[in-house]
Amino acid sequence: MLVIMFKATVQRVSTSALKITQNCKSKDFHSVLIMIPHGRRCLSTGSCLYGKILPRKKPRVVHEIAGLEPITYADRMHFVPGLAKPKFPPWERGWKEPNHYQSPKLEDMPLYKDKPCYIFNQRTNVLEGVRQALWLSKSVLIKGLPDQILTLAEDPANQIENQDERVQNAIKNSRLWDTTEHRPPRERFCPSLLNGLLQLCGGLQVTHSELSKRILAEKYSLAATWRRGEDVFQVRGQNGLLLNSMTPLPVVAGQEQIQSTADQALETFYPIAPTIDLQNTHVYQEKNDTGFREDYPYPHAHTLFLMEMGNTPKLLPEQLRAKMVMFAFGNALARAQALYGKEPSVLEKPIVVQSVATNGRLFQFVVFQLNTTDLQSDSGVKNLAWVDEDQPLYEFAKVKPLIKKKVVQVPSGLSGYQPDTFKKFLALYLHGAV
Amino acid sequence: MASCSRLSLHPFLSSASVRLACNRNVQVEASTAKSLYPPIVPSRTAKSKAAKRRVVTEFFEQLRSCTAQEKIRALTRVQRKKYVIYPHTFALNADRWYQHYTKTTFLNGLPEKYESASVVDESVLSEVRAVVCNSILQEHWHAKKGRTFIQKEQEQLVTPFLRNAVCGLKNLLAKESRVLTLSSLDFDPQVNYYWLRGERTIPEGHRRGRVEPMRFQIDDKPHSQIRIPQQLPEFVPLEAEISAEVPVITLAPDLLPLFRRQYDNHIFIGAKLEDPCCYGHTQFHVVPDRFRRDKMSKRGLSDQVEVSLRANGIASLFAWTGAQAMYQGFWSEEDVSRPFVSQAVITDGQFFSFFCYQLNTLALSPSADGNNSRKNVCWGTESMQLYERITDGDIVGLNDAVLKLLLQFLLNKPQC
Repeated sequence: MLVIMFKATVQRVSTSALKITQNCKSKDFHSVLIMIPHGRRCLSTGSCLYGKILPRKKPRVVHEIAGLEPITYADRMHFVPGLAKPKFPPWERGWKEPNHYQSPKLEDMPLYKDKPCYIFNQRTNVLEGVRQALWLSKSVLIKGLPDQILTLAEDPANQIENQDERVQNAIKNSRLWDTTEHRPPRERFCPSLLNGLLQLCGGLQVTHSELSKRILAEKYSLAATWRRGEDVFQVRGQNGLLLNSMTPLPVVAGQEQIQSTADQALETFYPIAPTIDLQNTHVYQEKNDTGFREDYPYPHAHTLFLMEMGNTPKLLPEQLRAKMVMFAFGNALARAQALYGKEPSVLEKPIVVQSVATNGRLFQFVVFQLNTTDLQSDSGVKNLAWVDEDQPLYEFAKVKPLIKKKVVQVPSGLSGYQPDTFKKFLALYLHGAV
Repeated sequence: MASCSRLSLHPFLSSASVRLACNRNVQVEASTAKSLYPPIVPSRTAKSKAAKRRVVTEFFEQLRSCTAQEKIRALTRVQRKKYVIYPHTFALNADRWYQHYTKTTFLNGLPEKYESASVVDESVLSEVRAVVCNSILQEHWHAKKGRTFIQKEQEQLVTPFLRNAVCGLKNLLAKESRVLTLSSLDFDPQVNYYWLRGERTIPEGHRRGRVEPMRFQIDDKPHSQIRIPQQLPEFVPLEAEISAEVPVITLAPDLLPLFRRQYDNHIFIGAKLEDPCCYGHTQFHVVPDRFRRDKMSKRGLSDQVEVSLRANGIASLFAWTGAQAMYQGFWSEEDVSRPFVSQAVITDGQFFSFFCYQLNTLALSPSADGNNSRKNVCWGTESMQLYERITDGDIVGLNDAVLKLLLQFLLNKPQC
């Protein structure tokens, strides 16, 4: 208990600092968000870059003594040594000016609630990784991808012609050839590699006409709320690239597998609370929003692509997988609540959302199936998450060879290409359209 | 007293005299005779104009036998101050100046290939319409977005729409044109080109009074580009006579204004030389927020909107085709043996302009431009409105002509 309280206080301190950040766009920092521990905004760029912000001096404390009225120099209209400083009523401008706006205290804000809400946003770096994400989404983990997708991957009818050569060209283009400099930075080659692979997959529209019923959405904001135990949880914010489709994904696990999850117990990690590292706030709105309007022609979320480039903040593979699971769950939950209402229930038609995350070389794949929105209790039917971890697409892509003691350890160019990873990527892309 | 003996004129009159026998047939013998001495050439190291000329000639001779990579490196190695040409510029009437610096003639309208109304498949056109409409509506209506800063509106609305439209059209038309399957689509690529054109007399400094060539650099960042492994066919033959003239600007570039800076000279098509997709197909540009129609009309420059689009098209496409030609080993002394062709679409979300460019000559430097009668050609349209406005969930006034042109542009493919 003590440990949980300690973690909660630590979290409160850290979340107040999380709110105040400064975007520094200098070459050295690659637009890193700098945390300022004392919670004040510092709008000058120079001092922010080096973390040197002088502390603000606290105003002198004036003690009020009940019954005694201080004698001030207000009537005299000038300073008199020995008399108290008068306290005037605060001046109201009468209209809201954005440059001189002071926000009310947290307790006075209209959306203030006594019960705190724990929010998972795009910057959350959870301590317990996938275990925590599974507890929060009431899911059961299955290692490896489902069999349907693996058979799709092996099927030769779904391959692109000269697949290996073209994927290797795409990797070389993004890693080696894309810049006038020596080598492109990660912020450039990670999105360009993902784009190249998506272009290759999209080229299959020639043979699979169902692939035309999809569209990519870049900066959309998700909102999903649920209750678990006594706490309120939310998934909010922009997450990544979402591939939307006109038709929903087919259900991966049959009814028997879903019912058998009811017997499996959720893994807890006492003494660490499952709410660790989530943004804890009292000012929130219980919103459920897929990010798109109701008449959107592509309402079903197909795949979420996350890119981990190491700048906001750097996520280890375990934490990246947790982020994938949480956002896939958030998308599925928002869709379920849009379709079936907010009442928690077991879904007759489970919703499947896929997710792919990469850091430019390693790929993580997640297929999430939402079976139930009844997340209050720990028992009952649970959701399913298939996780395939740490699939390298290639081993090295070097501009200059690595030579130690006059022996070439790693040659220049692309080496160690693994074709299976792209086959899985393609299978996840084709799932639902074959 | 010497007596003047009368010399007979006989030896002088005879054609077989010794003197004439020496002069006869000297030319023929000299060419076949082995020369005892090496040819007399100017020095290489003397401080003279002839020596400088010899050094330059020998350098060019040595370059002819190098690979394309080495040629580019040798021509761009030395950094000097150069004029930087920006495709998006606030300068007035910049398109005529850019035409002069790139030796381009501008023809209104598009080449005959696109002018003659070709039969367009209705089903394909309706699919194209669906893709474009869905992309527009997703950004403007379906996705719930808040308002951003005024200077970032294009980035929030037009850039994602164009991304989705280009991807969707490329995947859709891959079955019509096989080269699109093998093409490479890049987003936010870099295109750079560095060249020499014209001469100026250095006004001040220790090199005052000397004549030096003017150096230019274009650094462009289009929204996206499609590169293909084979070249597009030419619009007009290489040595064809074009009626329009290249405008001649006698004023110094500083008056446009063009500013000089010194940094790395880059020649880049979007990927390095090793990439198999080394020929350009189509580029897509987004008009920046500063040069949007409403902003230009607020500044009183409504007539400059078309001018700036033309300047953008000419500069970007010249840089791209020039870089493609240099990747193939051509340069100002070794002019192109086949024309290099590329296309561009410039849009601000609602208005679309289409440009085609054919590079016929790279020989723009002072030494090579003397007897060069070829000129580069750029065709361009006025900006056409794609839609009138977007009401709740619906696009009003969609213009099919723009979609047809987009379709034809993307279906342009190399022969065979």
